[in-house]
Amino acid sequence: MRPFHPTYIFEVLPQLFPYIGVTIAVTFGTVLGGGLIGLLLAAAKIKRGRIAKVLVNTYVYLTRCIPSIVMLFIVYYGLPELLMVFGIDINNIHKAFFVITTFSILFAANMSEVFRSAYEAVNKGQREAAVSIGMTEFQAFRRILLPQCTIYAIPNFANALVNLIKEGSLAYTIGLIDIMGKGQLIIGLNMGSYSLETYLALFILYWILILLIEKSLKFLEKRLLQGRKILNTAG
Amino acid sequence: MTINTEFMIQTFFDVLAGIPVTLELTFITLLLSFPIAFFMALQKLEKKKVSGKIVSGYVSFVRGTPVVLQILFLYSLLPTILNYLIKEILKLEFDIFSINPMIYAFVVFSLNTVAVLTEVFRSALLTVEHGQLEAALAIGLNKCQAYVRIIIPQAIVSALPNLCNATINLMKSTSLAFMMTVKDITAIAKVNAAFGYNYIEAYLVISVIYIILCTLVQLGYVAVERYFSSYKRFSTN
Amino acid sequence: MLEIRNVHKAFGSNQVLKGVNLKVNKGDIIVILGPSGSGKTTFLRTINFLEKADKGTIDFDDIHTELHSASNKTINRIRKKTAFVFQNYNLFANKTALENVTEGLIVARKVPKEEAIKCAKDALDKVGLSERYDYYPSQLSGGQQQRVGIARAIAVNPDVLLFDEPTSALDPELIGEVLSVMKKLAKEGATMIVVTHEMSFAQEVASRVVFMDGGVVVEEGTAKQIFTAPKEKRTEQFLRRIVRDYDYVI
Repeated sequence: MRPFHPTYIFEVLPQLFPYIGVTIAVTFGTVLGGGLIGLLLAAAKIKRGRIAKVLVNTYVYLTRCIPSIVMLFIVYYGLPELLMVFGIDINNIHKAFFVITTFSILFAANMSEVFRSAYEAVNKGQREAAVSIGMTEFQAFRRILLPQCTIYAIPNFANALVNLIKEGSLAYTIGLIDIMGKGQLIIGLNMGSYSLETYLALFILYWILILLIEKSLKFLEKRLLQGRKILNTAG
Repeated sequence: MTINTEFMIQTFFDVLAGIPVTLELTFITLLLSFPIAFFMALQKLEKKKVSGKIVSGYVSFVRGTPVVLQILFLYSLLPTILNYLIKEILKLEFDIFSINPMIYAFVVFSLNTVAVLTEVFRSALLTVEHGQLEAALAIGLNKCQAYVRIIIPQAIVSALPNLCNATINLMKSTSLAFMMTVKDITAIAKVNAAFGYNYIEAYLVISVIYIILCTLVQLGYVAVERYFSSYKRFSTN
Repeated sequence: MLEIRNVHKAFGSNQVLKGVNLKVNKGDIIVILGPSGSGKTTFLRTINFLEKADKGTIDFDDIHTELHSASNKTINRIRKKTAFVFQNYNLFANKTALENVTEGLIVARKVPKEEAIKCAKDALDKVGLSERYDYYPSQLSGGQQQRVGIARAIAVNPDVLLFDEPTSALDPELIGEVLSVMKKLAKEGATMIVVTHEMSFAQEVASRVVFMDGGVVVEEGTAKQIFTAPKEKRTEQFLRRIVRDYDYVI
C-alpha cells in the first residue's frame, strides 16, 4: 500500500490558496461574458421573430450536446487560426482568454434559458398593471418585472454557476494555472507522490467554494422573497 | 486557416470505433446507478435517519466537486487499494494492471451518477402526493406494492426530463474517460489529432458525433415519455 | 363489532386526541361532527393506521391490539376489513377508474382478475359511473372522482367504511351526487363512520351522532337528540354557528 500522509493535505492547501483568485477571476469573467450573451439570446428569443427563435434554440441545443472539454479544445486550437484569417494574432494571449471564451459560449446557453424562464414566470398582468397606472415600459420593467424575475432566476442561476465552476476545472488541460492547474503542478513537482493528498486538498477547496455559493444565493433568494409570499403561489 | 477534409473523413471513420465505448460507458453506468440511487433517494427522504444524513452528505460532496477531480483521484486511488486487497489480503497472484480500464471508468462514473440520480429520484418521488401512498395502504397494499404499482410509475414520468439531462451530462462526462486510458470517441480523436496537429478538424468531427448521439438519446426519451405518460395526456375538465 | 378505546395522539407538543372512545355495531351510521382542529379526522385516520396513535386499543371482531404497537400483520388485517374515502379522493393518477377499483382486489386481496373486474364494474355501476370505466382521474370531475373513491372503498366489501370529509373538496353543485350515493349505501345496511360538515346527511341517515371538540368526545346521541336537545353547551354553540352558516349557503 502506498504511503498516505493526511498532514500533507494541510501543507498543500496554503500553496493552493493564491490560485483561488484565478479560479474566481475566470469564473467572474465568464459570468459577465456569458451572462451578457445569454441576455441577448433570451431577448432575441422573446422579442424577435421566428427566425431568431430558431437560431437561439439551435445554439442552445448544440452547446448542450458538446462536452466542455471538446469545446475548450476547439476554441483553444481553432480561435487563433480563425482570427489569423482576419490578420489578428492572439498566439501570445493569456490562456485565461480561451477559457473565458469557451465557457462564455457554454454559459450563455444556460443563462439564456435562465433569463427566459424567469421572464416567463412573471405574470403578464404585472406589466399590464404597471403600464395601466402610467409607468413607461422601461419603468415597468425596471420597477415591477425585474425584481420579480430576479427571484425566479436565482435557483437556476446558482445551478449554472456551480456547473460552471466544476466544468471550469478543465482549464488546466490547456495549461491555465488556477487551483486545479496548480495542484497538477505540485503533483508533477513531487513526481506523482502525494497525489492523493493534493487531490483531497482540491476536493476540500472546491466543495467549500461551491457550498458557499449555494448557501449565499439561497440566503439572497430568501431575503428577496421576504414579505412577498404571494409570489410563491403565483409560481 | 486550412481545413484538412481528408483527415476529417478519415477521423470520422476511426472515431466510429469509439461510439460503442461511449455508449457502453453511458448506459451501463446508468444501469448500475439506477437501483442504488433509488434506494439512496428513499433514505434521503427520511431526514431524521442517520442513513439519510450520510446520503445527503455524499450527494452534496459529489455534486459539489468537479468530475475531472473525481476521476483523477479515484484513478490513482483504486489501483492501489485493489493491489493491496489482492496481494496482501487475498494473497492472490494477479496483475491488477491487466484490469480493463473500462472497469475503473464504470466505478468512477457510477459513483458520480448515483449522486446525480439520487437527487433526480428524490425530487420525482416528492412530486407524487402523499395521499397516493395513503390510499394504496388504505386499500390493503403493502408498502412495497404501493411503491411498485402506484408511486414509482407516477414518479418516473416526472423524473424523465431530469433523467434525460442526467444521461446527456453523463455522456458528455465520459469524454474525460481518456484520462483513464479508455479509448472512447474523444480519446481516439485526440490521438489522431496529435499525429499531424489537426486538432480543430478532429474536435469538430467528434462534436458532430456527440450532437448526433445526444439527439438520439433525446429522441429515445421522448418515446419513453410518450409511453409512460398516457394517463397525463388529458387535462382536467 | 368494532370498539376503539382511549385513543391519544400528539403532533409534537400539540395534543390532538386526548382519550377518544367509540363503539360501532354492525349497520351503524356514525357521523362525527366538530369544529376544525377538534381531532375528528385524526381519530378516523388512527382507526385505519394512516396515523399511528400514541396510545389506545382497538377490538375489531376477534382482533385485539394496542394502537401504537400493532404488528404490520395486524395492521394489514384491520386495513383489509376497512375502507377509507379521502377528502381529496386520492385516486391513483396512473390508473383508470376501473383499475383504481380492481387494484385493492387483485393485489391486496388476491382476487382473480376476472372476478375483480366484475366486482369493480358492479361497484362503479352502483355509484352511477358505468359509462366511465376507462377514464383516468384527470378526465373526471371532482364529484365523479369521489364516486370512484367510494366505489374503490365498497368494492372490497369492507366491514366498516370510513369517510373523511368526502364532500368538502367539492364545488357546491357536485356535493349532491356524492351524498346521494352515500345515502344509498346507508340504506343498504353498510356500516359507516363519517366525518362531515353536511348536517342534512347527519339528520337524515345517522344512527348516532358524535360531537368532538378539543380532542375528546363531548357528546354522543341520536341525530334527533343532538340537533334538537343537545346536553352540552359546546355542542349547542357549534350547532348554532354551523346551522347559521348553512342558512347563508342556502
